[in-house]
Amino acid sequence: MRARVLVALALVGGSLALAALTVGASAAPVAPRQTPTTTSGSNAADIAGGRALYEVACTTCHGNEGEGVENRGPSLIGVGAASADFYLSTGRMPMDRPRAQAERKKVAYSPVQIRQLVAYVASLGPGPPIPRIPASAGNLAEGNRLYANNCAPCHSSAGAGGALGHAVYAPPLDKSTPLQVAQAVRIGPGAMPVFGPEALDDEQLASIVRYVEYLRTPDDRGGFGLRHLGPIPEGFVAWVIGLGAMLMAVRWIGTKD
Amino acid sequence: MPAERRIAVLLVLSTLAALGLAAVYVAGGQPQLEGALLGIALTGIGVALILWARGLSTEGAVIAERGPLGGVEEDEEAVEERIEEVTEEPGRRSVLKLFWAAGGALALSAVFPIRSLGPAPERALVTTAWRAGARLVDVDGRPVRTDTLQVGGTTTAFPEHAEHAGDSQIVVIRVEEGAIRPRPGREDWSPRGYIAYSKICPHVGCPVGLYQADSHELLCPCHQSTFDVLDGARPRFGPATRSLPQLPLEIDREGFLVAKGDFDEPVGPGFWNRER
Amino acid sequence: MTRGARGGTMTKALFRWFDERLGASHFTRKALDKIFPDHWSFMIGEIAMYCFVILVVTGVYLTFFFIPASEEVVYEGSYEALQGTHMSVAYASSLDISFDVRAGLVMRQMHHWAALIFMAALVVHMCRVFFTAAFRRPREINWVIGVTLFILAMMNGFFGYSLLDDLLSGTGVRVGYSIALSIPVAGEWLAFLFFGGEFPNTEFITRFYILHVLVLPALIAGLLGAHLAILWRQKHTQFKGPGRTEDNIEGSHLWPSYAAKSIGLFFIVTGVLAALGGLVQINPVWLYGPYDPAQASAVTAGSQPDWYVGWLDGALRIFPGWEIRAFGYTVANPFFPGALLPGITFGVLYVWPWLERRFTKDDAPHNLLDRPRDAPVRSGFGAATLSFYTILFVAGGNDVLASVFKVAPESITNLFRILVFVVPVVAFFVTRSACRTLARDKVHPFGGAVGSRVRRTAAGGYEEVDDDDPPKVGAVVSTPEADPYRPPPAPGS
Repeated sequence: MRARVLVALALVGGSLALAALTVGASAAPVAPRQTPTTTSGSNAADIAGGRALYEVACTTCHGNEGEGVENRGPSLIGVGAASADFYLSTGRMPMDRPRAQAERKKVAYSPVQIRQLVAYVASLGPGPPIPRIPASAGNLAEGNRLYANNCAPCHSSAGAGGALGHAVYAPPLDKSTPLQVAQAVRIGPGAMPVFGPEALDDEQLASIVRYVEYLRTPDDRGGFGLRHLGPIPEGFVAWVIGLGAMLMAVRWIGTKD
Repeated sequence: MPAERRIAVLLVLSTLAALGLAAVYVAGGQPQLEGALLGIALTGIGVALILWARGLSTEGAVIAERGPLGGVEEDEEAVEERIEEVTEEPGRRSVLKLFWAAGGALALSAVFPIRSLGPAPERALVTTAWRAGARLVDVDGRPVRTDTLQVGGTTTAFPEHAEHAGDSQIVVIRVEEGAIRPRPGREDWSPRGYIAYSKICPHVGCPVGLYQADSHELLCPCHQSTFDVLDGARPRFGPATRSLPQLPLEIDREGFLVAKGDFDEPVGPGFWNRER
Repeated sequence: MTRGARGGTMTKALFRWFDERLGASHFTRKALDKIFPDHWSFMIGEIAMYCFVILVVTGVYLTFFFIPASEEVVYEGSYEALQGTHMSVAYASSLDISFDVRAGLVMRQMHHWAALIFMAALVVHMCRVFFTAAFRRPREINWVIGVTLFILAMMNGFFGYSLLDDLLSGTGVRVGYSIALSIPVAGEWLAFLFFGGEFPNTEFITRFYILHVLVLPALIAGLLGAHLAILWRQKHTQFKGPGRTEDNIEGSHLWPSYAAKSIGLFFIVTGVLAALGGLVQINPVWLYGPYDPAQASAVTAGSQPDWYVGWLDGALRIFPGWEIRAFGYTVANPFFPGALLPGITFGVLYVWPWLERRFTKDDAPHNLLDRPRDAPVRSGFGAATLSFYTILFVAGGNDVLASVFKVAPESITNLFRILVFVVPVVAFFVTRSACRTLARDKVHPFGGAVGSRVRRTAAGGYEEVDDDDPPKVGAVVSTPEADPYRPPPAPGS
């Protein structure tokens, strides 16, 4: 009897711990809001400082003048401040070697250095500027609708991400700041398509940004959210915790021979 | 702890949980508390019942004979005789056959209300709402112009006169000019790098909503069929057996994207008469 | 001492009142004495049954609030992220249950958890019946009823979660429609008649509703009643054991022992469902958004059906892009994994008692059960089949696996295409071999041998024997005459 009670407690405790881990994992630490930089305000000092940083870390793959190197890195001419700020502020760049997908990782530069590199890359050629998203703009429900039509097929309804072909994936959105979301929409990094101002105007973009922000802590009034991965973890819980508890009960109630 | 004490503790716990549930409900409700308290209340009673059952004096292995299950010969013969009363009497057999025939015909006619359940398939699976000259509009009804999409951009579109026609949904993609390798006869279907395909997957009909811009592939999220956008949406991987039908596009004088006609094949999943 | 002084006065009076009008005392007396074997694995069917009871109870409650209509409405409930959105009345009423009906969300989640666990318990119950060969004569009827109940429950679950008309389940309805379409000859008509026209449309919600709340539950309840009545009539099977024969039955009386345990199990099952219903979120339809039956152009990454349909979805994913096109006709690809495979699956399940009989030539009635080790080939087939459908089920999550492990979905799919054949074959041979070893050695693979081997010495005492110490040739082994301490054989054995 005692052993069974202990097993039951272990099962319950283990499940709670598992649940706590998933809840904890999904409540990701908020990435520090990057100081928005603008191309219009950048000065020659920033560009020079950026050039210096660029020569140290970027020429191997992106070339001496940002023209790109075949099989290593694309051209940066015309990618704009938005691209540079996105890649640098999410830690995607610098990359140790050419890979199929640039992944979010620890940011390698300080905000000042990022500002300088952004200024330099923006100076290489005209491109998408860093978007300005007023804090009060956008409508949550409209963002929901736009997100469902444009973003959910790759990033999933809950922003949990999803697999694409060729071992590339659409990343989960829980660590993205509003600015990073807006930048990604405007530049279409990697496998992501581009959504310019004619496709989604600034008001619509603000709505989408608002909704993605909401998805970081969505309404989980039903209980543990199981990482919003859908029916698969739900089936797992049904079998292991639900039926598991009931089978333990019948083993306790009945005989074994 | 003696059994009665354990049972008492459980039932008290259960009672308290049930009262707590009522309090939570009156206070406005909260799903986690509701579930937890209800669970405790119910499980407490259940476990108490089991413990009580174990303490019963009649508990324990009891054994008895099963008794016969099979047919009693006498009864079986009697029933067979009664059946034969109907089937064996001279003259009755042919009448019986007529009964079967009439009953069968009636049963068959009762099937006809089933025909009213839906329309005949006819041409519905073979045509969509696309016509020559139909302007493309997005999900909100806004026309798709040449400056709507940048290179590497994509949107979902419908015909302007039928913007809620589910079978007419298309995905419009803008690729670099000259990158497309058109199929024979489709050289003028994709002006200036704009190309449009049916969004309905030819496997089981999910919207092919994932566009992988760097490899120019459309991916269906349901079962991972992958289509090469530059090669007429030929299926590169996955269970899809056919390319996505391509919608012929042209650009009108005002810069709007317009269809040149309907698809040249049925859209969506396969069916028996598809090739006819 | 009067009878009343021993308690239960009201119950006894009530019983007499009914008996005077219905004359049920003879039946009641026999019923209360009925014996039910106590083995724990015989209660798995009860778990399923009690899940069904909770499904009905919570389901009735939900029908008071759910509106099965596909008319479009603008949402004005309390969930901010959908304020002002166009959606069907069905979806809006599902949101109202989840947000604006007190305790509505717990009821809805209990209902859904009960459905998932109902199916899981049915699978385990079916496995128990299969591996212990309880389907043998005279219980073939109940086996057929059981397989039918399984199919009906699966269908009812599909219709049920599709009623909410959210994006995820709407995608599933589309898949169902396309599978129907792919059926040769009759597919187009079947699909158009069942769904009320070309998909996407707004007809299917009302049809699914009546199937889900009336037709299928009535069939399930009726068949379940027959299942229990037949079990009652035939009496439950039992495992072999000392004193047990084909002609007797050992267990607890229905009253009060078995009834108390069964009712206690009901409370525990309901308690687990209630706890899950409030503590673990399931099917958060507000995050998926509404299914738009007009345009139907939205979809989410990571689209999976509920687990019990997952094997079908996995089959759709890993079946290669093959199709038959001849003489102008098409047997479309989804037909093979989507219709033919389930057809074969359930076809084989249905005829299994007779199929097995052809090979075992065993037509005798059985009330004693096999242990899995007693029938290595049957157990091997069972293990192979289980592993086949488990592989298919896991393959249904190939995109989720791909994004979790950061590999290409193509690789995962190809891997499963291989595993789905290799693993069942391996499972068959491993299981068959394990059964044979177990039956021969009488040693449990997890438990190991219990106790020690001892040998009687000539002096009369016992000495312990090492496992690898064989008896000497010519040594006297215990005989009934030589061993007065051996218990006499049981009477009648």
